[in-house]
Amino acid sequence: MLLEIRDIEVRYQKTVALRGVSMTVPAGGIVTIIGANGAGKTTSLRAISGLEPLTRGEIRFDDARIDGLAPEEIVRRGIAHVPEGRRVFPDLTVEENLHTGAFLRTDRAAVQASLTEVFDHFPRLAERRRQWARSMSGGEQQMLAIGRALMSAPRVLLLDEPSMGLSPVMVQEIARIVADISGRGVPVVLVEQNAEMALRLAQYAYVLETGAVALEGPAADLRENAHVRRAYLGG
Amino acid sequence: MDLLWQTAVNATYAASYMALIAVGLVMIFGVMGVINFAHGELYMLGAYCVVFLYAQENFPFLLAVAAGLVFVGLVGIVMERTMFRPLRDNPLGGLIASIGFLLILQTLVVFGFGRRMGHVPPSTQGKTEIFGAILTHQRLFVIVAAILLLAALWAFLKRSKFGRALRACAQDAEAASLQGISLNQTARMAMFIGAGLAGVAGALTAPLVSPTPYIGHSIIVTAFIIIIVGGVGSLEGAVIAAVLYAFVHTFVTTFFDGVIANIVGLALMLAVLIVRPTGLFGARERA
Repeated sequence: MLLEIRDIEVRYQKTVALRGVSMTVPAGGIVTIIGANGAGKTTSLRAISGLEPLTRGEIRFDDARIDGLAPEEIVRRGIAHVPEGRRVFPDLTVEENLHTGAFLRTDRAAVQASLTEVFDHFPRLAERRRQWARSMSGGEQQMLAIGRALMSAPRVLLLDEPSMGLSPVMVQEIARIVADISGRGVPVVLVEQNAEMALRLAQYAYVLETGAVALEGPAADLRENAHVRRAYLGG
Repeated sequence: MDLLWQTAVNATYAASYMALIAVGLVMIFGVMGVINFAHGELYMLGAYCVVFLYAQENFPFLLAVAAGLVFVGLVGIVMERTMFRPLRDNPLGGLIASIGFLLILQTLVVFGFGRRMGHVPPSTQGKTEIFGAILTHQRLFVIVAAILLLAALWAFLKRSKFGRALRACAQDAEAASLQGISLNQTARMAMFIGAGLAGVAGALTAPLVSPTPYIGHSIIVTAFIIIIVGGVGSLEGAVIAAVLYAFVHTFVTTFFDGVIANIVGLALMLAVLIVRPTGLFGARERA
């Protein structure tokens, strides 16, 4: 397993956000985490990236413990995180935003190659490379956030609600992009409220409810599961 | 007419060192979210570097100024490590700690140099006439140094990888850390630059102001007015507001008096706050 989460607990002051969650992410494909608001999806990703300290459990990447490391150290190991709400840098240009993603890389030629690749992926970013990030639409900002994460040449990509607030057409576009990234050999952990899209894309899925894994299994199986259909797929 | 022009030249000098101080304060606030109340004392410390190295130990003036920049910058790094880093999630705590630190710096300087005015002889007697206005080379030096330093800072922020990291951090620190940018590292850089600029401003103006251990007080008040007028968090705003404030203050001082100038300065701040609560260039709210 590339990434292993073992029995982790995260607390915010008095409330327990994650109560003993375990998940594994293989070295290829898409794993999705679905669930309602406040179920702990975002917290799971934040814990992996070192933004939330664990009160119990451990996280392993490549068989080495990464819990307790600073976020920048976790990025250095190869985990890129596209946070909820995109969080692009509004007063940096598109190109500057992309370069921040490559902050830890020192091989200029390789960074330039990644930039070309991201621009191939997202022609719209290439057209707007000199614009301020804040002047872009929600969908474009999502592409920028994903492009920025790819600039770190990640070994695994964590995506938090990439479809949030986007039009149906743009959601389809993002789905295509996520599949494409995975197809190029970068494993993806996809957190989504849009369970329909997530279960279509992923090979394996976890369902989080009130901070614990309620169900897990191959995405195709969960799509047929009565509880999942009722609670997350609208029938 | 002559007096007007002369006053404008004087105001340009005042704007130069005020811009250095205010930009440093904004830099620290932007990257670390902490209001450094000891900023005036960092200016004072820079001035005393010149009192000590140049006036007392007879090192060349330029060397003393450079030492002021580096030494006060290093003091900034110490402040970051000992106060602001442990208090990162507590901006009010950072503010209070900086007030305590200000008193420590004042007391140390009083121990070392006494409370009386330090006398710093001019490093040059030269003067230049610009269309009838007299500009001493001592003041010209401050203007040139301020322009060069601010241009260098600008280039650093816009062109270098670490400058970009500082800007990213000021806009969204958590998102910056997800790009592999170390918040400790950016905080250290911001403190070195911010404190160093205050220190170099103090060092450059030392021969012109006769420093005392207590000059930081009026400096911090002025700096706060400038960054509020400019828009807290905006470096460009700080520079423009410094020019605006220096011109208003210098003109009112020349044609009325210094007390009225201080009142007008505060009134300027109030007027800007009423018309544009975010300051002239502070469009964004900080998250």
